[in-house]
Amino acid sequence: MGPSIIRTYDLWKQYEDEGRGGMALRGIDLEITKGQIIALFGKSGSGKTTLLNLIAGLDGPTKGRIEIDGEDLAVLGERGRTLLRRKKLGFVFQFFNLLPTLTALENVLLSLELAGAADRRPALEALALVGLSGKEGRFPHELSGGEQQRVAIARALVKSPPIILADEPTGNLDSVTGTQVLDLLVRRCREAGATLMMVSHALNTCEYADRILRMSDGRIFEESSCEGLAP
Amino acid sequence: MNGVIRSFLRYLVRRKSLSVLQLLGIAFGVAAAVGMTLASRSALQSLGSAVDFLRGGTTHTIARPAGPMEEGLLARVMGDPAVKYFAPVIDRKVRLEGGEQVRMLGVDPFLDKDVRTLTARIAASTRNNTQEEAFSSFLFDPGAVLIDENVARSLNLSPGSTFNTMQGPLRVVHIFPNPSGEPLIIIDIGHAQEFFRMRGYVDRADLVVTDEDAFRGRWATGFTIESNTQKAQTLSALLGAFRLNLQALSLFALFVGVFLIYNTAMFAVVSRRRDAGILLAIGASRGQVTAAFLVEVLLLGVAGGALGGVLGYLLSGFLVKIVGNTISTLYFFLKPSVLPWSFWNLAGGVFLGCAASIVGALPSLLELRRVQPVEVLRGRIASRGASRRMKTIALSGLVCLAAALTLFGLSFLNVYIGFAGAFAFLLGASLFAGFVIILLVPVMKRLFSRAMGLAGKIAIGNIRENLGRTSVAVAAFMITLSMSIGLGSMIDSFRQSLLWWMNSQLRGELYVSTKADVNVPEEFYEELKRMSGIGGIDVFRNVPITFRGKPASITSIDASVLQRYDRFGWLEGGDENWEPVKQGGAIVSESFSRRFNVKRGDRITIETASGPADLSVGAVFYDYASEHGVIMMDRSTYLKLFGDRTINSLGIFIDEGNPDRAKIIDQVKLRARALGLPFATREEFHKRILDIFDNTFAVTRSMRVLAIIVAFFGIAGALMTLFVERQKEFGIYRALGFSTGDVARMTIAESLGLGLVSFLMSTVVGTVFAVILIKVINLQSFNWTIFYHFTARPYLVTALTTLTASLAACAYPLWSVIRKYPVMQIREE
Amino acid sequence: MKTRHDLFPPFFALVILTLLCTVLIPLGLSAQDWKTALTPRQWSFPHDHGSHGEYRTEWWYFTGNLTDNEGKRYGYQLTFFRYGLAEQAKIPANPWSVRDIYLAHFALTDASNGTFHFRDRASRKGPGFAGAGKDAMDVHVLNWSAVMKDGKIDLNAARDGMELSLCLVPAKPLVLHGRQGLSKKGPGPGQASYYYSFTDLRTRGTLKTPGMKNPVSVRGMSWFDQEFGSNQLSPGQEGWDWFALHLGDGRDLMVYYLRKKDGTIEKESSGTLAEPDGTSRHLTISDMETTVLAHWKSTRTAGRYPAGWRIRIPTAGIDVTIRPLVADQELVNTVSTGITYWEGAVDGKGTSKGKEVAVEGYVELTGYAGTLGGVF
Repeated sequence: MGPSIIRTYDLWKQYEDEGRGGMALRGIDLEITKGQIIALFGKSGSGKTTLLNLIAGLDGPTKGRIEIDGEDLAVLGERGRTLLRRKKLGFVFQFFNLLPTLTALENVLLSLELAGAADRRPALEALALVGLSGKEGRFPHELSGGEQQRVAIARALVKSPPIILADEPTGNLDSVTGTQVLDLLVRRCREAGATLMMVSHALNTCEYADRILRMSDGRIFEESSCEGLAP
Repeated sequence: MNGVIRSFLRYLVRRKSLSVLQLLGIAFGVAAAVGMTLASRSALQSLGSAVDFLRGGTTHTIARPAGPMEEGLLARVMGDPAVKYFAPVIDRKVRLEGGEQVRMLGVDPFLDKDVRTLTARIAASTRNNTQEEAFSSFLFDPGAVLIDENVARSLNLSPGSTFNTMQGPLRVVHIFPNPSGEPLIIIDIGHAQEFFRMRGYVDRADLVVTDEDAFRGRWATGFTIESNTQKAQTLSALLGAFRLNLQALSLFALFVGVFLIYNTAMFAVVSRRRDAGILLAIGASRGQVTAAFLVEVLLLGVAGGALGGVLGYLLSGFLVKIVGNTISTLYFFLKPSVLPWSFWNLAGGVFLGCAASIVGALPSLLELRRVQPVEVLRGRIASRGASRRMKTIALSGLVCLAAALTLFGLSFLNVYIGFAGAFAFLLGASLFAGFVIILLVPVMKRLFSRAMGLAGKIAIGNIRENLGRTSVAVAAFMITLSMSIGLGSMIDSFRQSLLWWMNSQLRGELYVSTKADVNVPEEFYEELKRMSGIGGIDVFRNVPITFRGKPASITSIDASVLQRYDRFGWLEGGDENWEPVKQGGAIVSESFSRRFNVKRGDRITIETASGPADLSVGAVFYDYASEHGVIMMDRSTYLKLFGDRTINSLGIFIDEGNPDRAKIIDQVKLRARALGLPFATREEFHKRILDIFDNTFAVTRSMRVLAIIVAFFGIAGALMTLFVERQKEFGIYRALGFSTGDVARMTIAESLGLGLVSFLMSTVVGTVFAVILIKVINLQSFNWTIFYHFTARPYLVTALTTLTASLAACAYPLWSVIRKYPVMQIREE
Repeated sequence: MKTRHDLFPPFFALVILTLLCTVLIPLGLSAQDWKTALTPRQWSFPHDHGSHGEYRTEWWYFTGNLTDNEGKRYGYQLTFFRYGLAEQAKIPANPWSVRDIYLAHFALTDASNGTFHFRDRASRKGPGFAGAGKDAMDVHVLNWSAVMKDGKIDLNAARDGMELSLCLVPAKPLVLHGRQGLSKKGPGPGQASYYYSFTDLRTRGTLKTPGMKNPVSVRGMSWFDQEFGSNQLSPGQEGWDWFALHLGDGRDLMVYYLRKKDGTIEKESSGTLAEPDGTSRHLTISDMETTVLAHWKSTRTAGRYPAGWRIRIPTAGIDVTIRPLVADQELVNTVSTGITYWEGAVDGKGTSKGKEVAVEGYVELTGYAGTLGGVF
């Protein structure tokens, strides 16, 4: 086993404004090693996205500790977490979440720009690698869903982060396109040696994963196969 | 350009129509404030330059405390060792045939040239034939006048032409340049005496005095000596309440403007929430996101502000006329000229636009800083918990209202505290908007689903769902509607109070000459007294005085006649209040009582022709004739104190049952006409006063219109945002089988729904605002009580405005729906 | 540059009014409406010191040479004019209704520092602003006045730091000029005025120039002229040189020359010599010989004035040379008339009946300055 890149210790999260006193996470202890491809399953509301957001430092835990690449997120502070996201994290979302006012190239470029190296060449390369040569100048609404998600993948990978977090990356795509995108995402992560953590409903995700996790009621369970994992 | 900023700014281009609306919203808000400020500045500056122009080198003026000064005193003034120069002046108004009043100065060109340049051009010995003729004509022809270029332009006169006034025809011999905006007619002082029937008298002498103290010492008794500084103070005090009024209107305009900008910024932030979430997720800092948003807001602020500065300048050209008219009717003729265009209008507009944008965007910025990317990116809009937040906001609204109440309590200290209270109240009320929407939604759902079916129901649901946006739109719209209702109700109440006052104080059958017109010769009064059938004649005389350093006036009347025929509104007591007046006492108007804190039973000391005199105040009466305050006394008392026999007007009273009533009136009219005296029946007189009143509120009314325009942009912006934000939902509606008509109805219903909530809220808020204006602001600035009087008109006008604005606001979305809906698909961005 | 106004000469009455000539035209008043000086007059004093309203122009003219306790020398001029604009005021009961215009000129010369100060004023009668008594000398324009009481004349004037307060007592009986006071100004009938003088007035009082802190006591000798008439001036006359001189032996000499536009001297120019005993004789142009010795050019108006004279009256044994006390005694009127002239104190010496005499007096020079173009 390689060195761990993500570690959580007894992670709890309660949303205060939920009104029903919902506890999203109930003591998550997790260790993920470098280069692993993780598939995270779970029903809606089981706490998958919450976990993802906590790992990304976009939200803080109610209790517990998170270490990314050996650094405690709580210690890093807001500024440190922002830098972490810029350099070490790539995001792929279910709804693609491209900036609608920027072209494909600009969306990718923005990611580089934030990481501190606004260079067009790697951005163009990244788009080429996801098969979007020639569509760099298009705006998101001029692209199909699959194409948009490819841009999102290019955006996540262009800065070569050690970790990619993907929230239902195929959830909004038809199955053919979904498979293509999944294929691309995993392949690119493997090539780059990046750790990929995918939240998903889609069972075919299992085929690509090194490790399968299941969430239920804010707790996490290790699974050996996809069997018995109903979407 | 920074990618983060670029991603925000691209919206301005992509959503052009929305950007234009936002821009116009800011522009109109700024324009309202700039326009009003410029207009009031222009007016006051014109006034200043008119005063300077007329003052020339004068350092002091000397006059009788009330009424004109005997010309025989001038030789004494001339001989005073401290008097370097002196120039006698008759300072009156003439009423032109069109009803306008123009200031007419009677001067002696030989003496006047020592203190100012008015007549210098023609009076300097000259070798130019036309001017020599002009001068000769000026000295010898009774109706020969010099007019300034303003009068010449407005009446289209040139040298040699003749024009008519109520007092007789005048002939122009020369036109002189006048850098001030005040129209002027100059006549030789000797002719002025004949023209105004005041032979043997002048109004005052303008002086250049070298040793002020010695001079004052020699003229201490029976004269009013005013230095320029005092005069300027008096003048500014005279306009004090009016200026305050203008300032208040400017502030209101600014308030509405800021609100609109807040509205605009709020929409911007809502549509940027998701982007902010994405940006944060991919590693942008909150600082970068905030900065990008600020840049966007400021860009709109700069552009809108600049446009607003220009529009405001244009607007001021229109407003300044109205302001000038009002000052002319109420105080003295002024035709203010618009200030020349200056770079500062633009700079001021930009500053205002930016400042208001930042203030307005502050809540949105704070919200943006709190954005949780998690929630946003999962596609959940923050409607969750909205109702709870609206309650919290409403709670802070309560705090605002409490603050407003406290400020009202303290408003007796300074009228600006009252203003602050009014703003606090409006702000507080606006914070209830969201809460009120939540309260009203169930009822409206029923109402709209009944009227418009499912489309209506969904529309109201949308309003509820997008509370973050709709509450702000409703707040902004509601505030402007409330201002409209408030100002309207205040004006109507005032008008009603005025009517009551006229019906109680001005009950004469016929009024011969009125305040500002020709004086009535005493012989005519004597003649009427001998006429049989007349029940009583009230002899009216009003003179401005300075009381405790502030302007006020003394009115003399016939107490016995008024006791018998008028029904004065007394603060305390009844018509027995006349008894002490007949014995040489005085009564004072409510405004006088409040301004100088003089109560019934107090004694006041006034400066008279024979030194200070002590008068007891027998009662206080309601009065709307002058906000500066009136001391009223019987003519016999007045004659004793001032020796001024001038009569401004006569009120003719005839007993109710007199069968010859009509005949007597005709007879009086006949006699008056023969003497060239203007007259007015009670109805005509009342109407004239009401006309003046309506004129007075012209500015206020135009501000109402402006507020409505601003409000329109507010609600249009809100609707447009809702529409743009939800375009993708239309695909779903279409899939569900909604027709174009259904969606169009839905859009209209949303607009009407917002309008309805706003209107309902404004009926309450507006009414309270009217009461605040009446009981706090008006009382503090004018010192008189207006009785609140309900009229439906302001509410109907506002309802109609709401309907129009709501329908107009949904025009563009509607057009879009009809155009785009048939090809809408379910799709993601 | 000369204008029609410069044509009028004597006693620059005309001065008075540029405006007035044209003022009258629109009023339809012609010269015929005013009385003219045609025949010698039956004088009656003090009545005739008062105003003669039936004549169009009239003036009371005081000049004098004064000395203070330190021996500093001063000159003064205080002149009152009445100019009839209409024979009758339109509304006689209203004092503002204009009949006459009153003007006054006030000048002080301070020889010790070479300064000259001047002010002028104008007013209608108004409620006590200006006027002239009918039966005695009682004339005032605003707060400048000349009043004769018990044979003494009080002069008072003050303006902008200039003050004058004098008491004048005649040392000689008055002198009637020309033929019984009928002084010809031209060849035609009516081209004449009534003119008399007190040539020798003992003067005491105080004066103050703007440079002084307090008034100083002064004493000296004054000259008084009163003259009235209507339309006595003829066109073609360009200007006027007038001399009023006190000779050290008690003789007083008045000489005036009317200069015609063609460069010649009007034949009616004349003079009067008053002897110490009060007797006087009329001098015709053939009695008088005057030579100009020097000139002074005004930088203000570019007028070139004579500034030194030798005057000889051979038949009276007089030969004197006089010079201005201060070169610049030019009056530029702005308020009252707009006419520019030179009027100043002079002194000099010479011989009278073979004896050395000192001379002082006043000289008036009109028609030398061009118009003040833009001012008008």
